[in-house]
Amino acid sequence: MIRRVAGPAVAAVTLALPAVLDDSALAVYILLGLAAMVTVGVSLLMGYAGQVSLGQGAFYAVGAYTAALLSLHGVPPLAGLVAAPVVAAASALVIGVPLLRLRGHHLAFATLAMQLILLSLAGQLEVTGGDIGLQAIPQFSVGSFEAGGASAYAYLTWIGLALVMLVTRNVITSRPGRALRALATSETAAASSGIPVGRYKLVVFALSAAFAGLAGGIYCFYTGYVAPGSFPVLISIQYIVMAVVGGLGTIWGAVVGATAITLLVQGLNSLAALPGMPSYAPGVLSYAVYALVLILVVLFLPRGLLPALSGRFDRDRGHR
Amino acid sequence: MSAFLTYLLNGLAVGCAIALIASGLVVIHRVTGVVNFAQGTFAVVAGLCASSLLGLGFPHGLSELAAILVAALAGLLTGLAAIGRRGTTPLSSLIVTLGVGVLAYAVEIVLWGDQPRSAPGLAGSVTLAGARVQTQHLLVIGVTAAAFVLLALFFGRTYLGKALTACASNPYAARVVGIDTRLMGLLAFALGGLLGGIAGVLVTPLRPISFDTDVTLIVNAFAAAVFGALTRPVITLAGALLLGVAETMAAGYGYGSHQLEVALGLMIVVMIVQASRRSAISQEPA
Repeated sequence: MIRRVAGPAVAAVTLALPAVLDDSALAVYILLGLAAMVTVGVSLLMGYAGQVSLGQGAFYAVGAYTAALLSLHGVPPLAGLVAAPVVAAASALVIGVPLLRLRGHHLAFATLAMQLILLSLAGQLEVTGGDIGLQAIPQFSVGSFEAGGASAYAYLTWIGLALVMLVTRNVITSRPGRALRALATSETAAASSGIPVGRYKLVVFALSAAFAGLAGGIYCFYTGYVAPGSFPVLISIQYIVMAVVGGLGTIWGAVVGATAITLLVQGLNSLAALPGMPSYAPGVLSYAVYALVLILVVLFLPRGLLPALSGRFDRDRGHR
Repeated sequence: MSAFLTYLLNGLAVGCAIALIASGLVVIHRVTGVVNFAQGTFAVVAGLCASSLLGLGFPHGLSELAAILVAALAGLLTGLAAIGRRGTTPLSSLIVTLGVGVLAYAVEIVLWGDQPRSAPGLAGSVTLAGARVQTQHLLVIGVTAAAFVLLALFFGRTYLGKALTACASNPYAARVVGIDTRLMGLLAFALGGLLGGIAGVLVTPLRPISFDTDVTLIVNAFAAAVFGALTRPVITLAGALLLGVAETMAAGYGYGSHQLEVALGLMIVVMIVQASRRSAISQEPA
């Protein structure tokens, strides 16, 4: 009952929010939504396919650079935004064929290496603007409508996140979705019952990359510039933190995790910006929050925040 | 020719530093099955500590020793977080060590700031067969050689070393004969911290170190350890030397900006080749 009401209620409230928030709050809203988009993909990849990717930020970057480069060369922004997830997914397919033969920590390091290589290349190539990156990216527009203010980007983010969640829900309730769950438990058992393990892993990898690419595309129009410095290794770790905190393999868990971490870091940042705090305080506090939350949740709430909470709720109802 | 020899010796020194960090990874992985993401952090902590202590006027030797002990302590604490709680799977432990690495960022910035720091090392250089080599490079090579010999003796000749090896090859049997596998795991983490610390104090005079240097250190070390399939120290040493020489040659002959890509590309290729040679079932966690 609660579950049926909660989803639409959250949707309605979040749809109304952009109309009442001011610009700095809208920035948090947008970044939160973008992070949630990537985290849903990470949650799908880690929770359902059992693969750890420390390089999800790379696909975010691929999406951002794709949309930025296309729109800087006169392609309509909408086409750029559509191309962002497509190119990210395509690059995931190409990279995934060799990389997904690796498992566990090997895959984790390989994806981290992939992101480092990509950032290093983006910092050196002429096309991507080197370390300075790409600037003066045009505003997002569809036909004659141009997204001027932050609230337009907030709605764009909302639509993107809704799309990502809808796609994910349909994937995991489908027959291949059940196959994925089998695959996460034991690849050998899944393979012997006829599931094409390699192909499914590749598709999930590409799908999660597409989500990251879409978020990256929106990000580049919103901020108006992209540079290698926008996609540090920490950003990929941040998505892992959010996915693990919310609960792996759940759609809403990813959103809850992204919301909890973003708001926590944001709150601490405004605390750190108070007069009298040292200049390094914001960075230090966010590192400490990511780290402590990650360690404590992995050790003490291995299933994540949302499953732990709803599990408790279900138990309480069962007693009555 | 003398330029080539200089690059070769410099490369060997860089490789030796990588080998020390990688051997820490191997020790920890052999005993606990955990890949320690915070291994690069130990080197950074030791390097920063040494630079501070030397800056305060403590003598050489004492400062380095203290810094290495701090790194060993950091290793022990990381071990407590990663494997201290019963039933933590190796993959969860990897994520915990990742968290420890990020937590260390916060501590390091508070204590040392976010700018790179350096420390004075052995001054001067010697000329070997027409090639000028910094004395510090020779020190790195010498210390690494000694460390690997000591490690081999420790694992091969002492009861403690054999107990550690027993945990690695069959944890259940090790417990049956009365070895505390968790204690051995913690010991392995402390030893890993120690090895990372030695690398850190040796490297800081060669290239300045800052809080986020650990990412490059850990990927290089992991690349070397992957050569030895994360279990064989000697092949890891060979891999690290190869990596160090390849990187230094790339830098020396004008491809300096592509050092990182060389190392990482090599690592990915080695891993993929290794993965395709192993069967899927042998990799499945029990």
